[in-house]
Amino acid sequence: MPSPADRSPPILLRVAVLFLLLSTASAWKKDEFRNCDQSPFCKRARGRKPHSIPSLSAADVSLSDGAVSARLLPSQPLRQNTAGDDPEADRDPSRILLLRLSVYQGGVLRLQIDEDPSAPRRRFQVPDVLLPDLDDHRLWLPRLSSPAAGSSSSFYLADGFEAVLIHDPFEIQVRRKGSAEPVLSLNSLGLFDFEQLMVKKNDGEDWEERFRGHTDTRPHGPQSISFDVSFHGADFVYGIPEHASSSLALRPTSGPDVEHSEPYRLFNLDVFEYLADSPFGLYGSIPFMLSHGARSSSGFFWLNAAEMQIDVLAPGWDDSASPAKGRIDTLWMSEAGVVDAFFFVGPDPKDVLRQYIGITGTPAMPQEFAVAYHQCRWNYRDEEDVAAVDAAFDEHDIPYDVLWLDIEHTDGKRYFTWDRVLFPNPKEMQGKLAAKGRHMVTIVDPHIKRDDSFYIYKEASEKGYYVKDAMGKDFDGWCWPGSSSYPDVLNPEIREWWAEKFSFQSYVGSTPSLYIWNDMNEPSVFNGPEITMPRDAIHYGDVEHREVHNAYGYYFHMATSNGLLKRGNGMDRPFVLSRAFFAGSQRYGTVWTGDNSANWDQLRASVPMILTLGLTGLSFSGADVGGFFGNPEPELLVRWYQLGAYYPFFRAHAHQDTKRREPWLFGEHNTALIREAVHVRYSLLPYYYTLFREASVSGIPVMRPLWLEFPADKETYNTGEAFMVGPSLLVQGIYEKRQKSVSVYLPMGQSWYNMRNGAAYTGGISHKLEVSEDSIPSFQKAGTIVPRKDRFRRSSTQMVNDPYTLVIALNGSLAAEGELYVDDGKSYDFEQGAYIHRRFIFADCKLTSIDVRPAKIGGKFSSDCVIERIILLGLPSGAKKAVIEPGNREADVELGPLTLRGGSSLVAVTVRKPNVRIADDWTLRIL
Amino acid sequence: MGACLRISLTISCLLLIWISASASIPSRESLGIAPQDLSYYKSDVIKCKDGSKKFTKEQLNDEFCDCPDGTDEPGTSACPQGKFYCPNVGHIPLTTFSSRVNDGICDCCDGSDEYNGNVSCPNTCWEAGKVAREKLQKKIATFQNGVTIRKQEVEKAKQAFAKDEAELSKLRSEEKILKELVQKLKEQKERIEKAEEEERKKREEEERRLKEAERKANESKNAPEESSHDITDQAPEKLSELHNQDAMEDHHDSAVEDKNDYTTGTEISDNQVVGKVANDHDDTIAKSGHEADGRSDGSSFSHVEKQHVVEAQDNAVSKANTDYPGTEEELSSHVAEQGQVSDSTEGLSREELGRLVASRWTRENAAEGNDEVNMAKEGLEHDEDIREENHDGYISDSDEDHKFEDDDLEDDQDAEFGEDHEEPTDLTVSGSSSWLDKIQQTVNNVLQAFNFFRRPVNISEAATVRKEYDDFSSELSKIQSRISRLNEKLKYDFGKDREFYSFYDRCFESKQNKYTYKVCPFKKASQVEGHSSTQLGHWDKFDESYRVMLFSNGDRCWNGPDRSLKVRLRCGLKNELVDIDEPSRCEYVAILSTPALCLEEKIKELQQKLEDMNTGQPSAHDEL
Repeated sequence: MPSPADRSPPILLRVAVLFLLLSTASAWKKDEFRNCDQSPFCKRARGRKPHSIPSLSAADVSLSDGAVSARLLPSQPLRQNTAGDDPEADRDPSRILLLRLSVYQGGVLRLQIDEDPSAPRRRFQVPDVLLPDLDDHRLWLPRLSSPAAGSSSSFYLADGFEAVLIHDPFEIQVRRKGSAEPVLSLNSLGLFDFEQLMVKKNDGEDWEERFRGHTDTRPHGPQSISFDVSFHGADFVYGIPEHASSSLALRPTSGPDVEHSEPYRLFNLDVFEYLADSPFGLYGSIPFMLSHGARSSSGFFWLNAAEMQIDVLAPGWDDSASPAKGRIDTLWMSEAGVVDAFFFVGPDPKDVLRQYIGITGTPAMPQEFAVAYHQCRWNYRDEEDVAAVDAAFDEHDIPYDVLWLDIEHTDGKRYFTWDRVLFPNPKEMQGKLAAKGRHMVTIVDPHIKRDDSFYIYKEASEKGYYVKDAMGKDFDGWCWPGSSSYPDVLNPEIREWWAEKFSFQSYVGSTPSLYIWNDMNEPSVFNGPEITMPRDAIHYGDVEHREVHNAYGYYFHMATSNGLLKRGNGMDRPFVLSRAFFAGSQRYGTVWTGDNSANWDQLRASVPMILTLGLTGLSFSGADVGGFFGNPEPELLVRWYQLGAYYPFFRAHAHQDTKRREPWLFGEHNTALIREAVHVRYSLLPYYYTLFREASVSGIPVMRPLWLEFPADKETYNTGEAFMVGPSLLVQGIYEKRQKSVSVYLPMGQSWYNMRNGAAYTGGISHKLEVSEDSIPSFQKAGTIVPRKDRFRRSSTQMVNDPYTLVIALNGSLAAEGELYVDDGKSYDFEQGAYIHRRFIFADCKLTSIDVRPAKIGGKFSSDCVIERIILLGLPSGAKKAVIEPGNREADVELGPLTLRGGSSLVAVTVRKPNVRIADDWTLRIL
Repeated sequence: MGACLRISLTISCLLLIWISASASIPSRESLGIAPQDLSYYKSDVIKCKDGSKKFTKEQLNDEFCDCPDGTDEPGTSACPQGKFYCPNVGHIPLTTFSSRVNDGICDCCDGSDEYNGNVSCPNTCWEAGKVAREKLQKKIATFQNGVTIRKQEVEKAKQAFAKDEAELSKLRSEEKILKELVQKLKEQKERIEKAEEEERKKREEEERRLKEAERKANESKNAPEESSHDITDQAPEKLSELHNQDAMEDHHDSAVEDKNDYTTGTEISDNQVVGKVANDHDDTIAKSGHEADGRSDGSSFSHVEKQHVVEAQDNAVSKANTDYPGTEEELSSHVAEQGQVSDSTEGLSREELGRLVASRWTRENAAEGNDEVNMAKEGLEHDEDIREENHDGYISDSDEDHKFEDDDLEDDQDAEFGEDHEEPTDLTVSGSSSWLDKIQQTVNNVLQAFNFFRRPVNISEAATVRKEYDDFSSELSKIQSRISRLNEKLKYDFGKDREFYSFYDRCFESKQNKYTYKVCPFKKASQVEGHSSTQLGHWDKFDESYRVMLFSNGDRCWNGPDRSLKVRLRCGLKNELVDIDEPSRCEYVAILSTPALCLEEKIKELQQKLEDMNTGQPSAHDEL
């Protein structure tokens, strides 16, 4: 008898389809994303050996307009069939490339290489990323020096540094003056390759590329660029987010002892359930790499928004017999664009950051509420739900500042609208939160539902404001609302139009306490190749999507942020969270690490990820506390709150399929632990706000790798488990279930005080510490002063008038320093000097408060806030009282606890109610 | 009338004046302290309540936190763990967190939490109190009426329970008698059959003997003819046997075909197998991913290699899949297209692809007909159908019994969902004894009528016995099923006073948008949309001392938990499902108002509260 299976193929076909669908419905879809071998430009470039392709030489090197210019020509006439592995190598030898080298203040060298302007089509240069006034900071090069042989040209770069252009084959070097050994170099390995644009000559030529049923027409042929960059004297390289990794330093991706690995991919993608450790690309891209070694730090940034692949090469990768020591070679490959690269000379790591920030801009100063705790979930369903969650925070005395609404709040995923059943009175709802000093954030994504009855869609389609497909029609992709189009935010006019949509008149139901979240702006296109837009889609100025892809989310973020700025007449600092990002996103708001998962590995990976974002300018970033996908066990959730309380951006978020996980849902004990974690953040808000100010001036991130603060301490170079919050606090996460003890390395040079019990630890060694469930290890560095506010409120808004506590951790010479920055927390008045900025210096048993505002600045910000408590750690016993000047007032001194929260014992000398105003100059002497 | 009005107005004016006066300036020593606590703060040196420290009277409410538990700062915000008491005269006193003191938000209706002048909080206690008092009065009235209804319900439940118990015991005794009768009939039947058997054997023996004699007589006549005769005789028999076999096989085949056509059933089982393979496969990926997450030695991405392992497993899975007979072609065509079986999305339309990818985040149905939830649901319904069919089959058997006319099919189906099951009264209550007598009489007649010694056996009498046996044994099983149903019911916990007894046979419905929610206590809860029904849960138990009903193990959610429902009960005059909600995916909560929750004890408590509010006498009331 035949089996039933043989007789009913349709059923089994359906079974097979079901099988396919089931397997696609979970976990990371590796096959859906192109790997290097599937990207011809990457495969070709990666397969090359050093000096294996025809080299280019620099000719006609000269100074013009204060910069160096040259032409790049083939070193020798091309032979037929030179590079057998390179089918597209036979290009017109008469076509030359133009090279330009310019120097900017502070140790920045810029290299630009592009085709001759007479080329058939201009290649894309990413606009609006570099600071508009960058050219004002360009140095006018007075002269070029060439050795007698004329084989190179060198010129001034910064004090102690010079740049060298070696002519044949051409190579760029950044050197310490008088040293032959470079700090940075480009094309030392002869891997520079630049595919010039071509015009189709005959129909037989097939430039199309296919991937998983999608066809990329590639109308302009292959146009990739690749080259090598070497970091000399480097122990490690860092940066080039966004990748999930348990390692802060970039692991080599090619070379001996390296298992087969993909290069680091920079291609903004919406990745479902991403892995905790992978070089594959995620939501954002910043092609900026930093190196650090015992001798110095340096950096390299390539302004290019096309897909990029970057290899970090392990010593000996090129099979050379004697691999270079103390040098890290890297290979940079991009699908399109031009060479517009920046070399940062350092030499200190913070110098490198400042140099990068100097060209891409400082992070925006956030509003104070944004620095506090955010509560999010996909989705708080309706107004009742919002009210209940809000009330429960109060019932449990857990502060929070912002309640978030995900996509379900809209009318059918038409952003700027409200579901009329679930959210009938959005203004009233926001008003109720605002009455408690709280804010709301709603989501606005770039996919616009193709529905003529939706005013945004209608308007944009009438104006022709959408990205076009390869055929020239409005691009139609699938996302949350179904069939959608995407505004072409590369166009400044469209950005202006988009910004207008946030006005209170236009965004019906919005109020001044409402801020915005931009999600899915990679852009995410569910039915597109690699879940994004086809590369041959067309943007403003006939730019192909492939050329601008990594910056799409950046322009969208920019437009939204400008919308909020306009809405508040330029008086109200915008708050916009974006998932996609690019170099410069720090000017427009906050980012987070996207859709992570509720597991311990992702908790661990969150720290290197956020540290990397901070190193590349994005100081204000965080990871979803609790993990977006899946249900965290209570212990994991508590540990995540304890760690997340130190993230610059502190938000809990959850997928709609997960169980509710608001802080009070796991029993009283866990509620207390989470409350304590949130309280830690609120008490440190004055310190965090001060750090945000520092970041907004210098670009030095709030959350810092240890080596940024201790560049000479080799032990710290690859620490990704512990981090610094500003210059004063060190925090170690707990990343394992039921962990009993943890080994914490405390950097050398200073001793450290446990932030909970005041116990002192020696620096320069690893301490094995017992782990308690009520906190993660955290330490204050000796020699620092940290301002706190120890009174808790419903939200940060009510803390404005509350008094301060200063925690002074004394170093070996009984001295310490710290800062406090205060302004109105929301407006731009601080730009006119309306702020308080104090430096507290403790020395010789005397604490002095000094105004550090520039003397001639106007503006005034007043505050009646006082310091209610000063805690001194490491002061020898015997203090009797404190005397305050001016006024010759006395204050009591007693032994007090380090924190007012439960279980703390008396450990430190405490000055009781000195009640000195933070706005005033004063001294306080301990007698 | 006018005078009264004037007097009451005067009184309330006076009251208002008094209230605002009393709320205006609290002294530092008593600020934020509950009246019953005032004595604790009398002495000059006061202990922190947690025993950790002492503080002086000067340190009480001096805006500096000395006691970690907040003892010394009941009236300020200085201690993070402190509590603040507002008297709220005219309303209910409130103990709140000290984090609310002078935070610019009016929390106490008397405004006592905001005294630093940054914000002015009007005293709203009298008005708010009035509203609260009215609400409380209403609540008390509801409770009072509810208590009466509840009493009636309890009384009814008592009777119903007694009735059910009486019925049960009656049924049990009937069962006993019937059992005996049936046993007797069975014995009789067996005896008859034995007699019949003996008779048959005798007859056969007789015939054999006759035949033998005939054969012997014939044998001597024409022996050679016999064999050929045999052959011709046997041939048609064989043919027909063959024919029968064919017919059977045909029948068998068509049954198989039927089975195939019955897609739901077949498909589910197949899909389950494949689904399991897919799940296992996912597990492996997850596991490998997990392993890969661990830090690799040195500086390499060792997980990449592991991904290759996963890929190999992919292929293994696809290979295993091709082992399914008949699937090789379809699958290999997919394999050929992309080289990887796990994920080919080619061939999907653009919209399908979009939906498919979106479904990863939403876990919703991506393509028609491939939704596991639907499948599972269909499967479940299918199972139920089968169960119901069996059930029906059983009922229809007993339907043949004309004595159970009332017990029609529909009624019994409903019984499964809790509709009251009316038993024929003549059977169970009033006429049962005479009915039983009659039966006994009948049986006895039958038994006696049969004459064992008569040969041959009287065929009509034997048939009567057989029929009576069949009838009575089906009657017996009917009674037994009724007994087991009653037993099933009576085993439940119906509350302290069996106040939920009437819930057993009831369902409560609530319509919300497109869904109708149906909650049947002690049975199940479901969400109905048109013709499709989703199980929210099967009855689990009462919780929180009969204030909550739990339903669990409902239909499984796509990639999520089994659905469950928690029904919170509260006092109300009618049994009414007033609210249903899904705060977490597939975890439902509902509110059922019912007189069963209107407890007499609670009235006193509420009245006391009202009294406190009316007199303005502060009593300890902790809202925290």
